[in-house]
Amino acid sequence: MKAAALIGIAAGCVALAASALTVQGQVRAAGERLKTGATLEKPKVAVANDAEAAYCTPAFKQVLARVIHACGLVGGDSRRGCQPADVKTLASINDEDFNALFHPLKERGAVIMFDDGQDKLDEEAKRIIADRWQDRKGARYFFIVARASKTGGADFNRTLSHKRANSVLFLISDQFKADDPNIDKEAGLLWLGSEFAQLGKEYCDWNVSRPGKCTPEAINRSAFISWVDCQL
Amino acid sequence: MSLSNSSKSQMPFWPALLALAASVLGLSFALSSTVDYTRHLDRQVHDLHCSFIPGLAGEAGQEGACRAAMYSPYSALFKDKYWGGIPIALPAVGAFAFFAAFALYLLLSRDKAPRRAHQFLFLTGLTPLLVSGVMFFISLTKLGQFCKTCVGIYSASVLLAIAAVFSLIFDMKRGRTALEQFRSPTKKDSASTLKAAGDLEKSENKTPEKAGEEEKEGSPKVAPTLPEGEVPATVVTKDAEPDYVPPRTGGPLLIPSWLIALAVFSFVPALLYVSAMPNYATYVNGCGKLEKPEDPKKSLLYITPAGAKQQATLVVDPLCPTCKAFHQRLVTEGIFDQLDTTVVLFPLDNECNWMLDRPLHPGACVVAKAMMCNERRPLDVLEWAYEKQDEIAETAKGSGGVAAVRNMIRGRFAGLDKCIDSNETKQRLDRVLRWTIANQLAVSTPQLFLDGTRLCEEDSDIGLSYSIYKLAPNLRRP
Repeated sequence: MKAAALIGIAAGCVALAASALTVQGQVRAAGERLKTGATLEKPKVAVANDAEAAYCTPAFKQVLARVIHACGLVGGDSRRGCQPADVKTLASINDEDFNALFHPLKERGAVIMFDDGQDKLDEEAKRIIADRWQDRKGARYFFIVARASKTGGADFNRTLSHKRANSVLFLISDQFKADDPNIDKEAGLLWLGSEFAQLGKEYCDWNVSRPGKCTPEAINRSAFISWVDCQL
Repeated sequence: MSLSNSSKSQMPFWPALLALAASVLGLSFALSSTVDYTRHLDRQVHDLHCSFIPGLAGEAGQEGACRAAMYSPYSALFKDKYWGGIPIALPAVGAFAFFAAFALYLLLSRDKAPRRAHQFLFLTGLTPLLVSGVMFFISLTKLGQFCKTCVGIYSASVLLAIAAVFSLIFDMKRGRTALEQFRSPTKKDSASTLKAAGDLEKSENKTPEKAGEEEKEGSPKVAPTLPEGEVPATVVTKDAEPDYVPPRTGGPLLIPSWLIALAVFSFVPALLYVSAMPNYATYVNGCGKLEKPEDPKKSLLYITPAGAKQQATLVVDPLCPTCKAFHQRLVTEGIFDQLDTTVVLFPLDNECNWMLDRPLHPGACVVAKAMMCNERRPLDVLEWAYEKQDEIAETAKGSGGVAAVRNMIRGRFAGLDKCIDSNETKQRLDRVLRWTIANQLAVSTPQLFLDGTRLCEEDSDIGLSYSIYKLAPNLRRP
């Protein structure tokens, strides 16, 4: 009987010691892994970011990056503005290619049309601008690319183009500045004079503010607006 | 040893053997479960040995129930005090080790084991079954699933209880046999060897009523009786070879001593476990903060229960299973009702979330919009979505697609259609998603921030209680 008791006690102690030390060893090993960081490689998790659409080709992003830097949208405290001459240099591409860059934005954007020699927005233009602005989704930058037709002198057209771009920007600021204090850092303006390639009639198929009055000349008295779904 | 003497043995060997086998089995399962748990103390996710064979890795995809059990608040004790707590299987390791040793002792002692040993085994051998019964009930009612390792422990507990019961039955039987032997007239001569004759007289005097009853029944001569449960002690004369040796009762200190030993066996592993645990205090608040928590347009949702005392920001996708499990854990641990929660909807569905190139949870956008539209009680929609998550997911993947999910929402929350389709709701959801960009959040759900400090993903399962109470000491502990 004594032998049985001794065997039982010995077996119990061995079982207890083995189990407890095994567990304690595992705890220590886990602590060591925790301390040294010797753990399984964690999968990389993406960080929330702006949208990146398929049309964000390297060429498009290059133009975009140069424009937003030149326009003071990033890296500066105040808007510097984008002179048409700058854009020619910045884009480093010919006019036709420059226009083509915006083709993927056909559905996303809109063409705001103006009267001849005017920069005033009509009601439909205002509605479309508000609608497009609010359809932001994951975009970070909103582009306003204003134009003027070839009628008139280069300086006049350039000034008119600039005014048209500002008309759009001021409307957005008036309506949405309270909700979005960062408009200055989001909206990029380009005012293109008559020296830039004119838009063809096919642009009348886009979302234009005056679909019934779209002619090859009228489409160039305009401002193209769109959010751009590209990360930069 | 009794085993060599089995022909004369009063106690069959199988209850002790069964108790030994059950204890070894229980020890193996409990140890396997504990080791699995312990490996997670490095705050990483590891495979589990979720199998009916202790220590064997379970089949891929079959460890869900074990993981659910492990992540549940019932898997460990003192979870708010120690990171991960002390696994509930750890005291079982010590207890089963003790029962294995005790069963081995009984197996080797057989008839020579004192009767108190069998009484003790009965008394304590049922406790694992009681604990298993409680855990079984929790698995059934709270978790809705049974992990294989847990079932292994339940089975071992049942076997141990059977062994304990039969051990007592056979012991009582041999007690009765001893009594009969003592009472038997043919054996009376040999009773002259009894040392406890005086005790017998005493016991006779203690039971006059019984003696009287027997006389009434016409039994003029009766054998001396002993109180129930006691057997006469014997002293065998040197030259006599008794053909019957009555069992020994054992001293009164035996059971308390064994109870102390059982307690020591149960607590020692836990003490060693706690002594070896690393310090987690520096890890729990190292997972970032909200950079821009402001929400000037009130685009986010706000849930403030009556007892809310701690600001929290919860990033969720209503159709994400992990969010559901996390939410349930917060509710079960009594934490959710103490949180003044800002809900950031982050549907992992590219219908509205541009950060994904495909829908991980189709239909999540429309459910998120329904939450926004049911603004007074967004939690109702969220909890409904969690409850019906599988059904919604199946519906969204079916031929009806997201439109069918809309029908489900319509059926439960009428009158939200117009709001769900409105531009305002769409823009609001866009603003919520852009809020996540402003705060540089990971594209991942769920995420919990307490006063702007992120609860690490690594701390959102077994280390949840500890980490939450570290980040928010004001929270009331359950």
